[in-house]
Amino acid sequence: MLRKSSLADTLGIGLILAVALLSLVLLVAPSLIVVIISFDTRAYVSFPPEGFTLRWYAEVFEQGELVEAMLNSLQVGVTVTFLCVVLGVPTALACARGRFRGTTALSVFVLVPHMVPGIVLGVAVLFAGALVGVSPSIWLQSISITVFILAVMVRTVQSRLLRLDPALEEAAANLRASPFQSLRTVTFPLLMPAILAGAVFTFVEGFDNLSVAIFTHGFRDRPLPVELLALVQYTSSPLVAAVSGVQIVLAVVALIAVSLSIGLDNVNE
Amino acid sequence: MAEAALPSGIGQPGLGERTVDALLSGRGIWPAVPAIFVLMIVAIIPFMILLSLGFSDIVVARGAIVSQTLSLSHLSNALSDPLYWTTFQRSLSLALSTTALCFVFGYPVAYLFLIGGRWTKRLILVLTIAPLLTSGIVRTYAWLVILGGRGVVNSTLMNIGLIDEPLRIMNTHWAVLIGMVQIHLPVMILPLIAVMSRHDSRLVEASENLGASRLGTLRHVILPLSVPGIGTGAALVFTLSYTTFVVPQLLGGGNYLNAATMIYEQVVFSLEWSKGSVTSLILMVTCLVVLVTIALLTNHFTRWTKGREG
Repeated sequence: MLRKSSLADTLGIGLILAVALLSLVLLVAPSLIVVIISFDTRAYVSFPPEGFTLRWYAEVFEQGELVEAMLNSLQVGVTVTFLCVVLGVPTALACARGRFRGTTALSVFVLVPHMVPGIVLGVAVLFAGALVGVSPSIWLQSISITVFILAVMVRTVQSRLLRLDPALEEAAANLRASPFQSLRTVTFPLLMPAILAGAVFTFVEGFDNLSVAIFTHGFRDRPLPVELLALVQYTSSPLVAAVSGVQIVLAVVALIAVSLSIGLDNVNE
Repeated sequence: MAEAALPSGIGQPGLGERTVDALLSGRGIWPAVPAIFVLMIVAIIPFMILLSLGFSDIVVARGAIVSQTLSLSHLSNALSDPLYWTTFQRSLSLALSTTALCFVFGYPVAYLFLIGGRWTKRLILVLTIAPLLTSGIVRTYAWLVILGGRGVVNSTLMNIGLIDEPLRIMNTHWAVLIGMVQIHLPVMILPLIAVMSRHDSRLVEASENLGASRLGTLRHVILPLSVPGIGTGAALVFTLSYTTFVVPQLLGGGNYLNAATMIYEQVVFSLEWSKGSVTSLILMVTCLVVLVTIALLTNHFTRWTKGREG
């Protein structure tokens, strides 16, 4: 008991907690600074700001290229989410409920494209497409990101499936529900939170992915991350900060969506 | 009801019906077939093509390959090129130091999560997940604002009179490292938190009842128990920081070359397909070697929980 309150112990724990607080500040401070900068009146990035204006936000929506890039990314995000639901949910069912040999192999197989660096997948798809005459486009970008992120949807739904009480499905079967009825009225509603959470993450990936997109996006329909990368490199006005501000608002919305659908505590699973 | 909608199921009970049932209940592999098909076409076959491009001489004309012959010259050229060695060395040390620093800054947060109350836990989760939902470019841009010539750090230091001239932090190795660590920190924290929330709290209580100090409990109970989380976090952070080009490109200036920016230049600017393929393959293989090492180390240091979960 004596050792419990020793000076070294208190100092050590105090140091650890101090680093923890520093890290927490570090996580959020940069985003806050960007939001502050986005309201600055000056045409160059500097700190602290000297005034308040919504000019940069107005300019974001006046720039045709940026709006177009946002719409492109929105389209990719929606397509990726749709494909991940359609392909991923049945795959999760097969992985979790399958009674065939190789369910583990299937789970691993789905993970492969996700384990490979996005940049390598992007290059591979670009080269393979060129070989068969498929040139980069918004559709090639969408399907590539789908393949890259599919594992997240499968894992989210699969882990939810594994935690479902099998008695519920057995009860449905005992009550003479056909497999389809049982799936539709029992399993599916129970899976909905997981599917929603997976949808949020796949949408964010579709919207924000750069590593795969930079090699597969269409020459004419540039997605937002590619446009932003160029913008950050070649301009110094708070315009980028305003785009970031818009994205941060979207992220907050996504965060609320996740916490409402599965609860934050379950994100890790 | 469902049977009525399936004409093939009527009149011939057996195979047809069983197939449909298996299809719907997810007992068989059928529900996964569309996904397997797409993964084959868009991932596995392209990987094989990448592999074949890396090991052959190709002649490209108007975007199509006209001839292809087996050759090891690209690999040997790459391996004898000092630029490759320095670039990969830089990427590797950058990624490894990022991983180590993410652990140093991330683990205390996970410890705070373990000992904190309900609202502390919530706050940590929000602060960790929120950055993951914003784009990496936005988060990197924030560091341009902070570290730039007229950025937060320099103006603060100049205002309080510590320096007269702005420090040159941007476009240095340090800027890249700082950005890397901050951007990948959430990826390290999440698996740590996951493993912390699965801890059996009785072990910590037992340790403290036996008179261990909090530091001793942390070192001898909590840390060994969280090895699997450390392994997962390290693997994720390493893969991401080893293969990113956003941070080096934006914070390191135009001439900070890492493996990813090298691939980008070879593929997009100079259109050297074989070179790009070889670099991609080297990136993939070296990444895999480190990941396997991390997995082996994790396995080696995992105690107590091993028997139960296996």
